[in-house]
Amino acid sequence: MISELLINAFLVTIMLSIAIALIKTRTVIFTVILTSAYSLVAALMFITLDAVDVAFTEASVGAGISTILFLAAMAYLPKKEEESISSEFVPALSCIILGGILIWCSYDLPEIGQFTAPIHQHIAPEYIKGSKEDIGIPNIVTSVLASYRGYDTFGETIVVFTAGVAVLALLQKKDPAKKNKSQPKQKIRKNA
Amino acid sequence: MISSTIGIWNYWIVFCLMMIGLFLVIGRKNFLKKIVGLTIFQTSVFLLYITFGKIKGGTPPILNESFESIYSNPLPHVLILTAIVVGVATTALGLSLVLKINTEYGSIEEDDISAQDLVDYHDDIKTGKSVDLKFKQ
Repeated sequence: MISELLINAFLVTIMLSIAIALIKTRTVIFTVILTSAYSLVAALMFITLDAVDVAFTEASVGAGISTILFLAAMAYLPKKEEESISSEFVPALSCIILGGILIWCSYDLPEIGQFTAPIHQHIAPEYIKGSKEDIGIPNIVTSVLASYRGYDTFGETIVVFTAGVAVLALLQKKDPAKKNKSQPKQKIRKNA
Repeated sequence: MISSTIGIWNYWIVFCLMMIGLFLVIGRKNFLKKIVGLTIFQTSVFLLYITFGKIKGGTPPILNESFESIYSNPLPHVLILTAIVVGVATTALGLSLVLKINTEYGSIEEDDISAQDLVDYHDDIKTGKSVDLKFKQ
């Protein structure tokens, strides 16, 4: 049992070092690749924490598609990040204070993996028991996602659709043919 | 002692990761770095949720009669599956906003952009044009 937690602690420490490297680097390509690596290590952690569905979603969507999006955007953007003029002291200090408070609060959290924690007592046992009879799929995550909480998934689809429409609207190029047509008209008016 | 430290070690590091993500968002002036910070923050919140769902000696929540064991909590997994997909959608939206800003201003550094806005504002005052309301606050 302790070995599982040790693997977890090791992986999460790797993630911390990747995040620190992300703060230090100023080159955009390194930033993108480090983000991808971060997502992949997160996917490994999800496997050790028994969340296999989340792990492959994170590996394909988090590490795959978002990296492609970042690389595609990178092609049109400056390759280097400039040093900031203003001091980074205030944001750093507020982050450290907030992190300190969170770590202080973590002593009240249940230890990892304890069956008696409140989260495992409330409604999850009913889903685990009922999944086989109610829906008939062995994978509980699928049955909760698609059936018990089907409306949430529907809402998620709407969010993704809205984001897609917004991206298309933002990246729409103004039609050059229309532009050429409208400019001569204005010239004609001025001449007249 | 060691086992209890390891028991909450995950939480500590996850909180550190969250704060690094937050720092990248509020401390860095490069817009692409801000979006990367948002991704880091998101992924660490996912980790926190999945950590809550873990049960010692549990198996992934896929029903199988040959395993006589307890299943880890499936509810956080479902929540986070939804959140990952929505997170990528927001990343895409943020990146397209950054691209738009880059075509308008020729830069994605916050300092550059606010300097350009300030110059435009003073030019407008000199020429007596109607001034954008956003600077009047």
